[in-house]
Amino acid sequence: MRKWMVWMVVCTAFLAFSPSVSIGAEPRSGGALNFMAPYGGDVMTLDSQRTNRVQDYLIAMNIHRALFKWDAEKNRPVLDLAESMEAADDGVTYTFTFYDNIKFHNGRPFTVDDVIWSYERIMRPEGEISPGMRWIGNIKGADAFGKGEADSIEGLRKIDDLTLRITLKDPVNIAYALYDSSLPILPKEEVEKMGREFGNHPVGLGPFKFDSWTKGSEVVLVKNPDYFEKGRPYLDKVVYRIMPEGAARDLAFRAKDLDATIVGSTQYPGYKNDPEISKNMIEVAEMFTRLMGFHPDYEPFSNKKVRQAINYAINDKLIIEKLLKEKAFNAVGFLPTTSPAFDETAEPYGYDPEKAKQLMKEAGYEDGFEFEAIGTTNEAWGTPVLEALIPFLREINVTIKPVQVEGALLGERVDEKNDFQAFIWSYESGPDPLAALKRWHSGTPANAGNSVVYSNPEYDKLLDQAARTRDEAEKMELLKKADRIFQDDAPIWFFNYNKAIMAHQPWVHGLQPVAVEMMYQDMTNVWVDETSPRAKKK
Amino acid sequence: MKNLIRKIKGRTNLMIGGIIAAIVVVMAVFAPFLAPYHPVNDANLMFSEEPPGDPFWMGTDQQGRDILSRVIYGARISLAVGLICQILNTSIGVILGLTAGFFGKWWDDLVMGLTNIMLSIPPLIFALAIMAILGPGLVNVFLALGLTNWSFSCRITRSQVLFTRGLDYVKAAKALGYGRIRIMFTQILPNIVGPILVVATLGVADAILLEAALSFLGLGTQPPTPSWGGMLSSAREQLFTAPWISIFPGLAIFITVLGLNLFGDGLRDILDPHTTRSGKA
Amino acid sequence: MFAYAVRRILQFIPTILAISLIMFMLLNVLPGNAAMMAMDSRKAKDPEMIEQLKKRWGLDKPLYVRYLLYLKDLAHGDLGRSFIRGDEVGALVAARIWPTLKLAFTAMAIAVILGIPLGFFSALKQGTWLDTASMVGAVSGVSVPQFWLGLLLMYFFAVQFRLLPPSGYGDGDIAHLILPSVTLGVGYTALLARTTRAAVIEVLNTDYIRTARAKGLSELLINRKHVLRNTLILVMTTAGLQFGFLIGQTVIVEKLFSWPGLGSLLVDSIFMRDIPVTQGCILVIISVFLLVNLAVDLLYAFVDPRIEYS
Repeated sequence: MRKWMVWMVVCTAFLAFSPSVSIGAEPRSGGALNFMAPYGGDVMTLDSQRTNRVQDYLIAMNIHRALFKWDAEKNRPVLDLAESMEAADDGVTYTFTFYDNIKFHNGRPFTVDDVIWSYERIMRPEGEISPGMRWIGNIKGADAFGKGEADSIEGLRKIDDLTLRITLKDPVNIAYALYDSSLPILPKEEVEKMGREFGNHPVGLGPFKFDSWTKGSEVVLVKNPDYFEKGRPYLDKVVYRIMPEGAARDLAFRAKDLDATIVGSTQYPGYKNDPEISKNMIEVAEMFTRLMGFHPDYEPFSNKKVRQAINYAINDKLIIEKLLKEKAFNAVGFLPTTSPAFDETAEPYGYDPEKAKQLMKEAGYEDGFEFEAIGTTNEAWGTPVLEALIPFLREINVTIKPVQVEGALLGERVDEKNDFQAFIWSYESGPDPLAALKRWHSGTPANAGNSVVYSNPEYDKLLDQAARTRDEAEKMELLKKADRIFQDDAPIWFFNYNKAIMAHQPWVHGLQPVAVEMMYQDMTNVWVDETSPRAKKK
Repeated sequence: MKNLIRKIKGRTNLMIGGIIAAIVVVMAVFAPFLAPYHPVNDANLMFSEEPPGDPFWMGTDQQGRDILSRVIYGARISLAVGLICQILNTSIGVILGLTAGFFGKWWDDLVMGLTNIMLSIPPLIFALAIMAILGPGLVNVFLALGLTNWSFSCRITRSQVLFTRGLDYVKAAKALGYGRIRIMFTQILPNIVGPILVVATLGVADAILLEAALSFLGLGTQPPTPSWGGMLSSAREQLFTAPWISIFPGLAIFITVLGLNLFGDGLRDILDPHTTRSGKA
Repeated sequence: MFAYAVRRILQFIPTILAISLIMFMLLNVLPGNAAMMAMDSRKAKDPEMIEQLKKRWGLDKPLYVRYLLYLKDLAHGDLGRSFIRGDEVGALVAARIWPTLKLAFTAMAIAVILGIPLGFFSALKQGTWLDTASMVGAVSGVSVPQFWLGLLLMYFFAVQFRLLPPSGYGDGDIAHLILPSVTLGVGYTALLARTTRAAVIEVLNTDYIRTARAKGLSELLINRKHVLRNTLILVMTTAGLQFGFLIGQTVIVEKLFSWPGLGSLLVDSIFMRDIPVTQGCILVIISVFLLVNLAVDLLYAFVDPRIEYS
């Protein structure tokens, strides 16, 4: 058994039985929290195995539980349902021992069979959405089961009701491989009874039970009194308001109708300057990288110097300061500052118009060219940013034509048809740095994420090497190197890493800076004090 | 003629509306001379979100562009949206209405059926579907709004044709051997100009508002086009932190639409005392 | 009258069929697809799964086949199943009708209560400054983009005065209904005021009112009896026809106020490319519109006993 595994076991035990909330006042049980689901569109389903949308996960994650969960403080996945995990020396075999007091919301005790059944359901989606395949595919024999070549997943072995042995295909980091939001453990009998209705009436293992859902307006969760972590959760009720409209969220928060809100760049200065609100703000460098991708088939962009020139020509810092109101971190490479493989020594391109002109001259594009860049209306990674590029690019005689499109059209043109000259978007760049960088591996097809058709054998080699390396430090070094190569090749304009901000009312405690996605707030340890207008609400 | 002038003088709404409309037209036509800056190219992030003052009388927007200049140029966009959409709507409506009323039979049934269908689809929803297909953009807004709102002018034209057809002078024209087309243009068209003009004036106002609604849904004109609806909708989150960015384009929409509505109502009072159908759709 | 109503409802069928065809074609040529939207595009994705989803949803079949399949289901009263959600379209849409109707009818009530008297008043004072003032007031309402008006109302009534909840549906209580329905109703009020004014002016100019005046009936009595009845017919026609306008505007208001109605469902499903849900919403919205207009026609009989339906 390796040292870090022991450590992990200790930590989880510690986590399970101690309040990891803010020091000071004693946590208080009871009360309701009005939270929001701020992203585009409605909530589609609360069956997390059948969705890939953050808007669904951020609610469902408090209904469901999986083998791992994200720990905001440690900034990495930790054990959730299992009290310990033992790793064998082969690097692929792990034995999980689960807590003995875990029950589904319908009262039935949890056993290892539920894990096996859930993972099998993920691998055989019967034509439905099942993003978890990508992760469960790491388990030995899962792909064969998915294709119907085997009756069960070879790498899942039940030792007894509460002990499970998982064998992986390759020695990847199991915590990263099995923590994704799409991998909750579900009760077989409820799913089979309800069929597709399960997504409307989910039953899970989490700290909160599903109560009601007014589609298009709100989802209400209530406390699960039988939750396996004793004394949790504190809240009696959590209400998720479905509020995609930023201005409406802002007003609802100011009216104290929302207990917490995610803050957009337009509201950030106002909140920061408000003497009351500014005391209760949480910030984190989220693992999303905002970028403008260049298509190499468009003649000027096939030239590395042109791509670099664009990176030098744009004053990202000024755009971040003025347009994004400092609600972003200047990007260096693809991996964000919170990534374990972020290279502290790397330098961003920086604003150097002279160098940009020089590079354009060397590339033979002294007289510039024109290109079309597509983007959505998003304030931080959409057409407003493209508009701000106009004057900077004019300096190197480049004319950018911003074209505003809907999300669906952007998805089709960038990912599916790979038909664009340039686009601006936000890409997930964490938490696992290897998985994040894999996007740009030449083996990743354009429609699977390598939208700029990046291909550099040296980069591929470093990534392949990192995938085989079991030594974490060495692996990180390889990944840092790869990201440096990617940065130098400049297949994208490196814009920023998101600074996610959540503002909350003074009576709310225990919200955390979650770097994978600020809205993934685990409500287990969140509580409200008596000053909340909803402190006594059931 | 004297009669007409006397009529206009008595109408406060017509006067107010007319003056407002005239100001907007002047703004649109002489935008390059009136605007102190270029609405797109004179962007400087160093001056982003300056409150109103000197030299930016209405302040600057997120991109550091002069709002006054954008509002002035915006008159062009808004008027273009309103006028071109209404010209499209009116032409479609009048042509269909005229031919339906005149030729009757299956053509009339077909046109009336189509009109009923168009009446039952809420214009915003139809425009939404068309904009989703075509994508945001000024020309696409023309099309989306120009194809959705013709049913009123069609119905009015048709009923006027049916009414006029029975009148003595039209019968006389027929007896004189005038062709159908000729009667259409010489006898009927002049008689329906009044009501159609009213509907069209009000329609211009509607088109401006619909464009704003589409902008709210992210399906309006393309940035950096200075359309009032687009400016208003992109600054809506700053309504209370940097109010000048949205208030001025908002006021521009309000005053223009108000003016056009008053103008249309006033026109109706003098041109068309017998039509009660509002042009609003 | 019953027979008349039945005949009118039967006449809806071709209209609805035609609209369903138009909308089906429009929606199916929309660029982008639900399979792509179901996957968060910020994440790396599995192209094979996207192909499978398309196949499952029948998006790989030719357009006419899809339309025929759709009609077949429709004939059985089946609106199909949402692509992305787990729900039947019928159930999904049914749950959203009531909030929208509640919103639309409240807005309509506000408009009727304010707009018709205002229009009447204006017409009786035609040409005076009172006429202009009340019309400017009424028209102001229709001159503000709705989302802007909604935000201003939210700001003043929820943030500044703390009188009303800023948004949401609540338990379906009245407090949550006020702001969205006022936002929606203001434009409609202006419309009704203006229509009423024009109608009253027209009626006042007709021969029989002149005759009544000549006979010496007091002005008040004339207003009440003749003008009211004849105006009502004209106003009702407009109100019915403009109901579509109102329903269309719910798209904006529901989005802004997180109102769980058809309008927000429609917008979400258009943006998500969830074609069956979009189709379902449009069919229901149009049916509601047609039914409201039928109801208006039937109401004529009560307002004016001279009208008979044969």
